[in-house]
Amino acid sequence: MEKPAVTLNNIKKSYRTGLRMKRKVAVEDLSLDVTRGDIFGLLGPNGAGKTTTIKVLLGIVFPDEGNGSLLGCPLGDRKAHERLGFLPEQPYFYNFLTAEKGLVLYGKFFGLEHRLLAKRTPELLDLVGLRQDSHLTLDKYSKGMLQRFGIAQALLNDPDLVIMDEPSSGLDPLGQKEVRDILLQLRERGKTIFLSSHQLSEVETICSSVSIVNMGRTVKQGRLDDLLAVRGMTRIIFKGEDPAALDALIPVASDVEQSDGRTVVDVETDVTFRALETAHGLGMEMISATPLRLSLEELFLETIRETAG
Amino acid sequence: MKNVLSIAVNVIKDAARKKVFYVVFLFGLAIVALSPLLPTFDLGARAQFLRDISLSLTSLFGVVLAVILSVSQIPGEVERRTIYNILSKPVSRLQYLVGKYLGIMVSIAAILLVMGLEIVLLIFIRLHVFTPLIFEGVFAVFLECAVIAAFCVMLSTFATVPVNAFAAVLFYLVCHVKTGFLHQKLVEGAFGVGKVFTWALYYVIPNLEDFNLSQPVGYGGGAGAAYMLRLTAYALLFVVIFMVAAYLVFRSKDL
Ligand SMILES: Nc1ncnc2c1ncn2[C@@H]1O[C@H](COP(=O)(O)OP(=O)(O)OP(=O)(O)O)[C@@H](O)[C@H]1O
Ligand SMILES: [Mg+2]
Repeated sequence: MEKPAVTLNNIKKSYRTGLRMKRKVAVEDLSLDVTRGDIFGLLGPNGAGKTTTIKVLLGIVFPDEGNGSLLGCPLGDRKAHERLGFLPEQPYFYNFLTAEKGLVLYGKFFGLEHRLLAKRTPELLDLVGLRQDSHLTLDKYSKGMLQRFGIAQALLNDPDLVIMDEPSSGLDPLGQKEVRDILLQLRERGKTIFLSSHQLSEVETICSSVSIVNMGRTVKQGRLDDLLAVRGMTRIIFKGEDPAALDALIPVASDVEQSDGRTVVDVETDVTFRALETAHGLGMEMISATPLRLSLEELFLETIRETAG
Repeated sequence: MKNVLSIAVNVIKDAARKKVFYVVFLFGLAIVALSPLLPTFDLGARAQFLRDISLSLTSLFGVVLAVILSVSQIPGEVERRTIYNILSKPVSRLQYLVGKYLGIMVSIAAILLVMGLEIVLLIFIRLHVFTPLIFEGVFAVFLECAVIAAFCVMLSTFATVPVNAFAAVLFYLVCHVKTGFLHQKLVEGAFGVGKVFTWALYYVIPNLEDFNLSQPVGYGGGAGAAYMLRLTAYALLFVVIFMVAAYLVFRSKDL
């Protein structure tokens, strides 16, 4: 079995906030594993410790306790960074450089040859839609443009692992879609992606596994499909809002709801046929029957509520 | 090594962008403005005097420049957090630190070189005397700047910019004045613990007065190759000590 792309074991990190003051705990006890080839989402409310976790991964801050690995190398080993791309939370770039010069500068740190850089720079600028503005210095960029630049520079070395702290922050819907497509393309090429995000719908469409953190602890982790599936439950959707159907289905179903001209019935999977027969008897038209699945938002809110306080 | 160079080049470009290199014009103006104030002695004495004061001025400019260039280098990048993106690349903290220092020193060297040329040119134009010897003094100033910049870089790994700048001035004053004072004490002969203490201080604090060559370069035939070699080794020793200390702090610092 291949080693995970990222591991963190029982990371604890606190910050000193003043000379005599108590240390502020940012990450209490956080563990995670990211399988190679996955798109992994680190989720959590504001201040949960996502950025701190990423800083620990990159060796920008040092954990008080715990350890981890990046691409098979222990944390802090610069070798791993050669195959790593990183998008910071905010555009912390040299803003006196043009996008083009910025890419060249950051590319040099990967030891990329001048020729290769000259070829890759325009490609990346095209990819993120900045070709037109590549001669403008970054301080004249809008927020979304800076984010696009950030994504371009994170891909300079054709990394095996891309770590992105809120990749779609500041992007317009088109930009968000473009980023999603870029990430999916990367996954197709076998790359691993580690992202933190608040865009739950986005995470739901692209991530294969997630970890939810709250107050510095991992509170839920796993494959997204497993986490969202409500085991043994099926949701059947019928056309129409017949009140008679409500009465007939309630004894069979766990939950029946009528709205927007539809009747939504959640049943235990082994009684699906009984529910269907009942509905058939009433002449109802079925739209779909699928395994019941929470939305990521539901899961997230539920998890955070459960673990609050 | 490549990473060190890239970081150094970036420091130099940043200095250029902030128009730091314009100080050479300021310096040129300053020495031109000072030269008419010469007492009207004979030609030789005037050349000597001009060498002396322009070298002192070089030292002043160099030291101020060393402090300005080095105090905010690292805190600035930490504050703006541009350092995150650099360190996420395969750049070690040691490379980062050394690159920064190298960039500072190359900038100072370039500026001092131009200042030296300006002095030679000025003395040649005004007095028709060619004095390449001035570069010996300029080189000593460069060495002094190297020590001061290393001191500031070390402090900048933990102190804030104003504290650092203040400490740098203090360092400069102590190293210039105090060593003379301590030397006096040693020669006069202190006793017991006092003597050991004085002795220790005398050797622990870099004796920056040694880098002031305005006497031998201004009025004599220079300090000589042997002295310059010893001075270089002496400066290098302190640079290494300060940079090692800087690395020890910076290596495990949360950014
Ligand atoms: N340098 C610091 N000094 C002190 N406390 C800090 C520091 N950086 C982060 N913290 C604290 O650590 C906690 C976690 O912060 P972090 O930035 O990791 O959150 P986050 O999950 O990224 O939040 P967001 O979604 O808002 O980006 C917060 O309570 C924050 O106040
Ligand atoms: Mg964050």
